[in-house]
Amino acid sequence: MAVISERVIPTARTATQVPTLRQMVNERDRLTRETGHYCGIKDLSLRDADPIRYERFYNKLHAAVLAARESARFVAASPGSREMGECLWGITTPEGDTLAVSMGFLSHTAIFPVAIRYMADNDYDVNDGIEDGDVYAVSDGKTGGVPHPGDFYSFTSICHEGEVVGWAVGINHLMENGAPVAGSWATFSVDTFMDGLVCPPMRTGRKLRQESWWKAIWERRTRASTMNILDDKMRLAGCAMINDAAHQLLAEFGAEYYKRAIREVIEESRRMIVDNMRALMVPGTYNGCAFRLVKYEGLQNVWSHANKNTLIHVRASVEPNDNGLMLDTEGSSRWGYHSYNATPGGADAAVFLGMINSFAHNTKVTAGIELAVQRHYAPGSIYNPDYEFTSNANLWAQTVALNSIGFNAVSRATFSRGYLEEAFTVDGNWGAFQGAGTTADGTSYGFTNFEWLGGTGRGAWCYKDGEPLVWAAWSQIATIGDAEEFEACVPPLFYLGRKLLPGYFGYGKYRGGPGNSAVHWCVEPGKHVALTRPNGGLSCTTSVGLGMSGGYPGPGSFMISARGTNLPDLIAEGETPRDARELLAQVDSGQLTVENLEIWKTDCPELALHDHDLFVDAAGSSGGWGDPLDRNPALVIKDLNDGVAPDYDFVSRMHGVVAAQNPAGEWVLDVAATAEKRAALRKARLDDSLPAAEWWQQERAKVLAKQVVPEVHEMYSQSLSFAKFDGEFRRFWQLPADFSFSKE
Amino acid sequence: MAGEATISKELIAQLIEGTIDDDNTNRLQRLPRKDQDRFLNYVAVLQSRVSWPDQILLRLGDRLYVARNGNNQRVVKCDCGHEFGDYRQNWKLGCKVRVRRTLAEMREVYDPAPACPEPGWQEVREFFCPQCATQHAVEVVAPGYPVVFEMLPDLDKFYRDYLGQPLPDEADDWYVDRTEHLTRHWAANATG
Repeated sequence: MAVISERVIPTARTATQVPTLRQMVNERDRLTRETGHYCGIKDLSLRDADPIRYERFYNKLHAAVLAARESARFVAASPGSREMGECLWGITTPEGDTLAVSMGFLSHTAIFPVAIRYMADNDYDVNDGIEDGDVYAVSDGKTGGVPHPGDFYSFTSICHEGEVVGWAVGINHLMENGAPVAGSWATFSVDTFMDGLVCPPMRTGRKLRQESWWKAIWERRTRASTMNILDDKMRLAGCAMINDAAHQLLAEFGAEYYKRAIREVIEESRRMIVDNMRALMVPGTYNGCAFRLVKYEGLQNVWSHANKNTLIHVRASVEPNDNGLMLDTEGSSRWGYHSYNATPGGADAAVFLGMINSFAHNTKVTAGIELAVQRHYAPGSIYNPDYEFTSNANLWAQTVALNSIGFNAVSRATFSRGYLEEAFTVDGNWGAFQGAGTTADGTSYGFTNFEWLGGTGRGAWCYKDGEPLVWAAWSQIATIGDAEEFEACVPPLFYLGRKLLPGYFGYGKYRGGPGNSAVHWCVEPGKHVALTRPNGGLSCTTSVGLGMSGGYPGPGSFMISARGTNLPDLIAEGETPRDARELLAQVDSGQLTVENLEIWKTDCPELALHDHDLFVDAAGSSGGWGDPLDRNPALVIKDLNDGVAPDYDFVSRMHGVVAAQNPAGEWVLDVAATAEKRAALRKARLDDSLPAAEWWQQERAKVLAKQVVPEVHEMYSQSLSFAKFDGEFRRFWQLPADFSFSKE
Repeated sequence: MAGEATISKELIAQLIEGTIDDDNTNRLQRLPRKDQDRFLNYVAVLQSRVSWPDQILLRLGDRLYVARNGNNQRVVKCDCGHEFGDYRQNWKLGCKVRVRRTLAEMREVYDPAPACPEPGWQEVREFFCPQCATQHAVEVVAPGYPVVFEMLPDLDKFYRDYLGQPLPDEADDWYVDRTEHLTRHWAANATG
């Protein structure tokens, strides 16, 4: 018999009868689907037979990823990875299912199986093979599940006797990723071709070493190559440690044990998570919504098809079931020619933030969470685009709201269940800025400032105020808003002030943790410096659409550019502004003169800065809990005296508190007047409001007449194209069958 | 075993009142497994704090409950005793509603000024108890947005499967959103 081709690919794959990656992925899917247990594992036989040995196995696995992080980021890393901790290492099954992860932004585990599935479906192991220690770069949303291209992944294969038995994965958020919009969130991209360095899974190295050409990519395709090359080495160094540890485990426990144990740990944690959900939640349906504005009109003249504003609708319901819970996003907007689109993998990375924190706290953090949290991302929606080239450069700006909705459902459940210590308002309001410049000597650089990404205010608990700066929904490791080395070293930018921003939170019986504000001063920018700002929720909308129990949702972030200032005069007076509130007050008083003052409640386009220009940001606020008129007056007085909520007229009206300053300048409560004021405000509530039935009639007339701004009109047109929201909308407003928001 | 821990009603009352100290909060948050009898103790504490005799089935908000009233109906009920009707209908539609549409109106609830949502794209809705004026909910949504039914509990499943104490009035249609019954009625009134 003639042999057409005898080409022998020098991989162990063809040398032995091991299954292909595609076969393994399909078999994992089949067994899990048919049995409801991960890979068909119904009995935890290794654990039950010898639990000590089993736990020792897992602890060694876990120790390997922990050690990878704690070593690699001190071997070679950009300051961003080393100091802020926007990095993660993990080890997975051959199919990419997580077995263990380090500290860091752990929800990124969700993307691992997406990239491996793509490699399996495209026969990476067949042509031209996968060997131990191969290095793959991944930063594409569609094929790699990556949340946004600013997050860069290194996958390295772990092979044993010719078979892929796992992957070591390292991730970090790049300092700059080479898009037309400099920085690491290409805010104004209209499709993936503007997203910067986007890599579908591609092999860049062998035997745990990058190939020489790979360095040129960083140098030629990004603006912060030194930092990015350091991070590339960091990711690989950690993966090499994990690879080595995996081989030691294979040698110590044997391949048969290893292959069985890695299935059992995932099934074990899946069961634990389902059990936790049942223990903490109340079954039912929890609904939430959020909105994000994309303001492109007038900014996309080159790309005319993208030259419009879009109001993104984020809609989700959470419904616990016997296998965990279902998160359904149907009704959310459709994808668009903007940078805010998600992919299923990227959406997972957001959704799992709250789910891992809430339900995997007492078990192994594995792919078990992916089985317990079932997701529905409707095809064609912003979470599952049916256009293959969507941009997902600024996915987080809206998808983090999806996490907040899911997380708030957990808060509502724990509140109803009585576990009040777990119930708090979840936001996810972050801010950052990014840009590029050229110094006077011609040195070019790109940068991202993450300062308000490392620590935001935590929303109000149902029993006390939220705290400032103590958490970051996307990481367990809040850096309480530190300005790390890399943030203080952008050549022409200097900090004039960094503060909690007084009054900047959602109000309620308990207030949210205040947000933060910094004033950046541009000094001798050389030939050029310009920045943009992507944000997780800008103040034209609130972080989430629903407050908790009568509290107000946290406000979004904003920024102010003040270009052409008399700052030298203020420096001479020793009276420079330290936050957004102070800057605006100095402008109002005439102390600070500004030729071009702009307040940005949406992402700002590129702003070129010159000597003594100021850029002021505010982010990280969080929402309140409960009726503001139920707030203990003593807490209102304390906030006034501490400067946390400094506007007496505002808080007096908000909380119905009457106070006066004593000769020492301290606010003192007037108890009787406070009681009167609260009674008056309650009466005013009833006087100023309409019975819902009457309000409904008025609003329905507007809906029937489609009396909404064009962005809202298009938002409804998109969301009503999905049956679930269409039904809800029609039932609520009792609309005739021929009613439509579609364009005629 | 931590799973068998019992948390006193005094501590639960402190959580409800907001007087719990940080040490005890941390202790509760760090339980590897939550105390399984918390819900029943919680409801008992809540029941002792309301002025009405109806049985609390679930707490929905600071001052809002699902309760079984004297007519054996499961209704949403305010601390003050006001009933919002069948818990399967969105209770917000039993509220009085105030909407903030302009920047000046929003400025009264968001500070500093640049933190205000954008009029036209968003509006702030406040939902009040028509009897005691408690603000039970706030929505910041696009104009025309359907009022959000924040949570429809499946009480039968909860009591039967989660707590092991089935409710005596179990029925197939307790976990059904009936909000449309109300809006359909309103629409009929609108058209005469």
